[in-house]
Amino acid sequence: MTDLVVPAGAENVAPAQMSPRDLAAEAVAGIFARPGRTVLTVLGTVLGIGALVATLGVAKTAGNQIVGRFDELAATSVVVTNEQGFFGGPGGDVRAGIPSDADARLLRLNGVNAAGSFGPVEVGAALVRSVPIPDPLAQTEFQMSVYGASPGLLGAVRGELSTGRWFDSGHSDRADRVAILGTGAAQRLNVTRVDQQPVVFVGEEAFVVIGILDEVRRQPELLNAVVIPEGTAREVYGYVSASTVQIDVEIGAATLIAEQAAIALSPNEPTLLQVQKPPEPGDLRRDVEGDVNALFLVLGGVSLLVGAIGIANVTLVSVLERVGEIGLRRALGAARRHVAAQFLMESTAMGLVGGIIGASLGVLLVVVISAARTWTPVLDPVVPLVAPLVGAITGLVAGLYPALRAAALEPVEALRAG
Amino acid sequence: MIPVAPVVELRGVGRTFAAGDVSVPALAGASLSVGKGEYVAVVGPSGSGKSTMLNLIGLLDRPTEGTYLFEGIDTSDLDEGQRAGLRSRRIGFVFQSFHLLAHRTVIENVMLSTIYNGMPRLERVPAAEQALIRVGLAQRMDFLPTKLSGGERQRVAIARALVTRPALLLADEPTGNLDSATGGAVLGLFDELRADGLTLMVVTHDAQVSTHADRAIHLRDGLIEAVA
Repeated sequence: MTDLVVPAGAENVAPAQMSPRDLAAEAVAGIFARPGRTVLTVLGTVLGIGALVATLGVAKTAGNQIVGRFDELAATSVVVTNEQGFFGGPGGDVRAGIPSDADARLLRLNGVNAAGSFGPVEVGAALVRSVPIPDPLAQTEFQMSVYGASPGLLGAVRGELSTGRWFDSGHSDRADRVAILGTGAAQRLNVTRVDQQPVVFVGEEAFVVIGILDEVRRQPELLNAVVIPEGTAREVYGYVSASTVQIDVEIGAATLIAEQAAIALSPNEPTLLQVQKPPEPGDLRRDVEGDVNALFLVLGGVSLLVGAIGIANVTLVSVLERVGEIGLRRALGAARRHVAAQFLMESTAMGLVGGIIGASLGVLLVVVISAARTWTPVLDPVVPLVAPLVGAITGLVAGLYPALRAAALEPVEALRAG
Repeated sequence: MIPVAPVVELRGVGRTFAAGDVSVPALAGASLSVGKGEYVAVVGPSGSGKSTMLNLIGLLDRPTEGTYLFEGIDTSDLDEGQRAGLRSRRIGFVFQSFHLLAHRTVIENVMLSTIYNGMPRLERVPAAEQALIRVGLAQRMDFLPTKLSGGERQRVAIARALVTRPALLLADEPTGNLDSATGGAVLGLFDELRADGLTLMVVTHDAQVSTHADRAIHLRDGLIEAVA
């Protein structure tokens, strides 16, 4: 007889529904049920995301800083050395000498401002002295480097004379007995002015001092040396070739000139010459960013992993603690997916909040570090935007297992346990 | 006049639990019918299958034998989602241990059962207030459950069960955690709800409860012993 009766409310068997808004509200309520624990849980993600954002920011800032400190002096210097050949003195095995017209060859290259070559002059054991006035109290003879140099060297090293003049090609061609003293050498030889044509002796050879080199921006060894024209060195000491060519180039031309200089100087065997060029600023920045990133990204990743484990752990504990609540919700009509979604939402929200706070702290840290170092903080704008997303994904992944555990609970068991 | 289906109809329903190689029948061959507006007590000693029967009737568990019709619908044809939907709309639960969420206010606890049954948002607060007024807790709506007495907590749980206007209220030892005075008050509330036309099934081992019911179903060792 009961088969004849009308079942009441067929619409009542429709699957249970839960609006996304209710789901979000339940997740938020779950998070705020235990604020202290939530704060501690979120802390792991905060540290992880914060470390990642700060790392990326500091790396970018530091990399940018290197460009900011772009060294104009270093960037415009190309040095060619001849370490394999023999320089100075007769009878050597000259394999690839730097030619005597090095200055002229290099100046023909587009981008070269100045070029000058120099090399040590073999003077044997000759000591250097100024006017031979015997003074029993002072040392008057010194062992000093003597360099043969081309006329263009002064410009190439950006040198400045405190007095007198640099020699020119005339001096060199005529092999005039003239010399330039570096400021250190001049002090020791007690030469302070050149208007009375003081003379220094290298061994028994006399040279008229025509200028005192006060300062050089490159090749500072010249400051303690006696510099004579290369023609003079050749005539007096049998100087063969320069060992070093200093080239002053236009900004941005260094790489090109570095390629061309060796060929210009030694077309037959350019590889025998060593060329030193400034590092590319782009390479340098990438290197620094790479170094900083690799190390700290690993640290940040580890922090994030620890944060994820923290979320997973706390969510799992929370699931176990709330078994009764899960049973109740199932009795009230929640489907398994509703329970899973709620716990996933809670862990994702914790990850998101951790990501937002972490990203904020990370940005703040970049600013503070930059301020302390008087750097300009630089941060890829994508980083603080993506960071909370990474946090949320961390929370989502961390919540997967606990959420599945929660959904797998049988309502009868859950109600009994709770 | 078309006869209305009974709210609960069990036809030879049994539930056997498998524990390893041993199968334990918790309930066997249970047949009963509970009509609309009836107040039925299920009594018996612990282990007699009362809770198993309640879980089956409440769609929290599936029988291993027999047929269960809820409001004329054969529940064995329903999947988990449909059973959950039916629970959310047609069955209210009251538990011995109340199962209130400690961090949510009284009215939030009551509204919890409305979020799974599709009640429009605007209707939820009025419905929850009405249910709380019905159980006499109009003054306690914004309290946390931890501030309430045991009897008040159970009345919150009853309000939560009533707010969805279910066809059946299932109570599992509703007075088990209460002293006899507050327990009596809860039973008085059940009497009033029955008078309003609600169908009630109360599982208890408390003899006092069964005196309030229209009839009592006695269970022993998983078998219906007597219907008094």
